[in-house]
Amino acid sequence: MARLQVERLGGLAGLGGPLSRIRSRGEIDCQSLSAADRKAVDKLFESHARPKSTRSKPKTLGRDTFTYRLTRATSDGEETIEVPESLLPESLFGCVRDELV
Amino acid sequence: MSRGSRGVAGQGGCCCFIIPTEVLKRFSHDKKLSAEERQAFGEMVRYEKLWRDFRVDRTEHLRAVQAILPSALTAAAAGPPAFSVFDCRNGTKLPGVLVKKPATSTDASAKRAYTQTAAVARFFDQVFGRNSIDNGGMPLNSSIHYSVKYNNAFWNGSQMTYGDGDGQIFVDFTQSNDVIAHELMHGVTQYTLGLDYANQPGGLNESLSDVFGSMFRQWQAKQTVDKADWLVGREIMGPAALARRYTCLRDLSKPAGKHCLAPQVTNFSQYRDGLGPHTSSGIANLAFYHAAMAIGGKSWEKAGRVWYGVLTGSGVKPKMTMKQFATQTRKLAGTLFPNEPAVKTAVDAGWKAVGL
Ligand SMILES: [Zn+2]
Repeated sequence: MARLQVERLGGLAGLGGPLSRIRSRGEIDCQSLSAADRKAVDKLFESHARPKSTRSKPKTLGRDTFTYRLTRATSDGEETIEVPESLLPESLFGCVRDELV
Repeated sequence: MSRGSRGVAGQGGCCCFIIPTEVLKRFSHDKKLSAEERQAFGEMVRYEKLWRDFRVDRTEHLRAVQAILPSALTAAAAGPPAFSVFDCRNGTKLPGVLVKKPATSTDASAKRAYTQTAAVARFFDQVFGRNSIDNGGMPLNSSIHYSVKYNNAFWNGSQMTYGDGDGQIFVDFTQSNDVIAHELMHGVTQYTLGLDYANQPGGLNESLSDVFGSMFRQWQAKQTVDKADWLVGREIMGPAALARRYTCLRDLSKPAGKHCLAPQVTNFSQYRDGLGPHTSSGIANLAFYHAAMAIGGKSWEKAGRVWYGVLTGSGVKPKMTMKQFATQTRKLAGTLFPNEPAVKTAVDAGWKAVGL
């Protein structure tokens, strides 16, 4: 994986909604991540690749927390997952930029 | 549960959670450490998971207790809540470092988080006889300066967290008193209806936070409904948002307004599953606004009591729909105000105006 597209969703302002006036997107070169963070990102994609019934879904009581949509290119085309901020390596937080649209 | 143990739970748990789980895991396999040390780190990892599950279980346990005991008894059984503020110092580990005397802190965010959280607790106590989020005196913890230029505030299941904003679109999220009440209210909903966070229950969940956030703002300003601004997040708008004439995050009186940075739908005919909770909540926000305006006076005295009564008197209903909530408020308005039929009429008309 080389480039990872990142979109921030949710939060108190409900980013990513159909009426949303803030767009929060970015991109990061995975080679710029530490080995541990690269591995963490790989694991996130791997756990989503498993059938839904075998995925461990943590109970969450978080409200207004962000979710991130991560997209990467694979040999089979693009692969997209959505993960809660609490599972995302912190080094990815900074790659998105909030813009008024 | 004793007050002491509740205090520990409320403060974010054991000190080991200052160390990230990944680091704990690494230490648990680090051959440079002794076998005992490796084992200790391994146990810490397991304990952290237990702690996370405990938070969920505690919510469920308290809900069960409160379903049995009369609410006044649960509230009186515990003392008033303690308020603590933690400084994340632009990191993301919660809760952060304890701010020693937040009430007199030179850090305006710490002072605001402390003062306004205490004020929200007073609002719930004086208006509804509720003792903190769980009606059992749960300590109220807030973390400030979360992450870097962080454009958000959230409730993580056990505490409030506030970012500083990027200084462009948003400024410090502690600046709006209704935002503080909004986040704390997510805790109240968690310990009462326990609403899900998607589809209709998600929209209701968000609306309850906006409604009680706005109600608290009006109570603090001693405003009648006609004097209130009904805005959410007016004081957190940054210069770039203001330059585009966005004057608030949301407006309960005009959820789809051009001045709203986060506009919402206004009628149930626009609702569909998958619409985010912050978008669909406009329907129930507008219903409350119409009801409160038609009743007149102070929003927390009549409309607020009806909404609070349904929130706390319906048991745990994670899947409650907007229509079910509307039906319950119609019924309760008649029960609570039998000699004032105008209240029930106003509640009924409020929901009808949004297609419910
Ligand atoms: Zn919310």
